[in-house]
Amino acid sequence: MAETLFEARDLSRIFEPARGALQQLSDRITGKQPAVVRAVDKVTLSVVEGETLGIVGESGCGKSTLARMITGILPVSGGERRYRGEDYVSFLARKRDALKVQMVFQDPMSSLNPRLKVGEIIGEAAALHRVVPRARVRDHVVEMLERVGLPADTITRYPHQFSGGQRQRIGIARALAVKPELLVCDEAVAALDVSVQAQIINLLMDIRQDSGLSMIFISHDLGLIRHLCDRVAVMYLGRVVELARTEELFANPVHPYTQMLLAGMPRISVERRAFMPIVGEIPSPLHPPSGCHFHPRCSSASGHCSRIRPELSEWTPGHMQACINAG
Amino acid sequence: MNRAALTEFAGRFGESRIGVASLAVTLTFLICALLAPLISPTDPYDLSRLQLIDALKPMGSHQVVPGEEFRASFAVEDGVAVAQGDAHGLAAQSCGDACLEVRLDAETPLASLQVRTLPAGASVEGASKHPVQNWWTVNTPAGNSVRIVSDAPLPETFNFSVIARSDDQPTDLVFHLGTDGFGRDMLSAILYGIRISVFVGVVAAGSAMVIGTGLGLFAAWRGGATDALIMRAVDFMLSFPAILVGLAILAVLGSGVGKVILAVVLVQWCYYARTSRSLALSELNKEYVEAARGLRLPAWRIMARHVLPNCMPQIIVLFTLNIAAAISLESSLSFLGVGLPLTQPSLGMLIANGYEYIFSQKYWISFGPGIVLLVMIVAMNLLGDRLRDVTNPRFER
Ligand SMILES: Nc1ncnc2c1ncn2[C@@H]1O[C@H](COP(=O)(O)OP(=O)(O)OP(=O)(O)O)[C@@H](O)[C@H]1O
Ligand SMILES: [Mg+2]
Repeated sequence: MAETLFEARDLSRIFEPARGALQQLSDRITGKQPAVVRAVDKVTLSVVEGETLGIVGESGCGKSTLARMITGILPVSGGERRYRGEDYVSFLARKRDALKVQMVFQDPMSSLNPRLKVGEIIGEAAALHRVVPRARVRDHVVEMLERVGLPADTITRYPHQFSGGQRQRIGIARALAVKPELLVCDEAVAALDVSVQAQIINLLMDIRQDSGLSMIFISHDLGLIRHLCDRVAVMYLGRVVELARTEELFANPVHPYTQMLLAGMPRISVERRAFMPIVGEIPSPLHPPSGCHFHPRCSSASGHCSRIRPELSEWTPGHMQACINAG
Repeated sequence: MNRAALTEFAGRFGESRIGVASLAVTLTFLICALLAPLISPTDPYDLSRLQLIDALKPMGSHQVVPGEEFRASFAVEDGVAVAQGDAHGLAAQSCGDACLEVRLDAETPLASLQVRTLPAGASVEGASKHPVQNWWTVNTPAGNSVRIVSDAPLPETFNFSVIARSDDQPTDLVFHLGTDGFGRDMLSAILYGIRISVFVGVVAAGSAMVIGTGLGLFAAWRGGATDALIMRAVDFMLSFPAILVGLAILAVLGSGVGKVILAVVLVQWCYYARTSRSLALSELNKEYVEAARGLRLPAWRIMARHVLPNCMPQIIVLFTLNIAAAISLESSLSFLGVGLPLTQPSLGMLIANGYEYIFSQKYWISFGPGIVLLVMIVAMNLLGDRLRDVTNPRFER
């Protein structure tokens, strides 16, 4: 069986509103708790070697925050992260090893430094951390550019001279240049045209096939997730509500939220399902509903739903879900 | 920046005539500052070359070589005059009864020739007598000679002395902008003044930029208490008028170029700190910084190589504006007499020097440096404004 590459247990991230020193002091004296955003709330998941894990959820449910914690860009507020069983505290301290987890960003405009040439953008970390010998850096960069389908002369040009799709290729080359084992793609194609999206998706699939890279693929596009991922985690307001193998999840969604998402998904078949359309607004993450976050929008909510915080539990082997009324 | 972006930038800058003109004027002043020792007609720092006779000359007057003085004393014995000691080219000989001719053998025409202590009854032809003393003066004596005559025969023995003064000679050097109270050529003084003012302005604003930007980036990167501390210090400094801070510092430390620069840096660092912090905070939120973190680049490298270059355009604009502010602060302090030392007159001090004469119609001493200072500061401000407009993304059409 393949080794577990990355593991997160009860991962949480709280954002506090920016407060001035005086405000902090007065809050402390009056004992007032500032309104905090639980962007990610006790998320447990893992990625095994060679696997692609999908994370899906509506805007603002904490996907990007989770991705940043997985890549070690953002500190956690609680919980633990492990890479090949090693805790992130020591893992991130060894800079060269910490390169094994890389990220591809959503916005191709702001994810490349406009003041650096493409060659520097891609080669900087590889040179600094001696991923390749200094003398080989240029060749390495050209190799990476070839791999993502860009000509070698790209090296001396600046990001603004490229289209969104080309920029995203540069971003992928930058991540690949430090030889990662786990690539976190945070809505990597959401900002692109549909035709360009397909090219980038194909590129990612090629790379995955060539190098056996593990991936975390974050998207709100269920079609892409179904196409790309081995397993899928469904997030709602900072929590994972369902996690299963892709075929299993799409065939037998258990959580009402997942069912709702799938019902809203455009499909080719004309088969009608009895699912409710999505009702109600997405609640504010500042004031999430009590108990199960989803209960105000849920058609099968019972009295317990607003009181009990549901935990993710095994439904069938390999299929986790967090609805107390399921079954 | 790459060439295409630079060309585009230049094109946008060139759209405004005022911008181009202010750039031209600023460059002219920079060149003046750099080349002052080569292009200025005289060296205003060379005190040994100053002569009081040139002081307070109006615009367009010539420098003069002051006239020479020749002194000799003569003793007359038996009607023959003999020089006592060195005669300096003066000679006296008899020209008949009761007549003695005194002459100077020289090319230069004399401005005056004075004969002192003649015996009673004797006088000098065409001379005016001093109202009290027994001194006889002939102005512009013909042929550089005068005659001592007497109604009665001259005594057999007597002593007298002679002081001959030659004319002042104008030279080719013209004081186009007049001279000040020390006889210094104002044009040269202004050129050297620009040099000092620009030097102080650039060095002070540059040091403030390095220190302030460094602190601002540090505050943005560390956040929390460090950030709060630095930003409160900025607020504190900003709450005082610049001139007050400058006066207080120089009052404690005394004057001098280094101290003026220190004063300007203390006044200006906070502008850079505040600007660079807010720019850096907005840059730090961009995904390319997160990418750099993900690539485990060291924090200093992210700040220096990724964040700073993206903040630089606005900081350069601030720098241009602050050079002008530094020059005007330095000039104000020098005008008030606490800035630069007397031996290195900046524009402000030149204006202050001329201020004493301005009510005696000697306007040119303050006028020249004042106009130059005004034009320089206005041009630099316009240039800074224009650069800000061009670099400001919101200005984009
Ligand atoms: N730096 C921050 N400070 C405060 N709140 C934040 C910060 N970053 C994210 N949040 C909040 O955390 C929540 C989750 O944000 P996140 O960006 O992770 O969502 P997302 O699922 O990636 O959304 P999207 O699909 O729009 O990218 C949001 O409510 C957001 O407002
Ligand atoms: Mg996101």
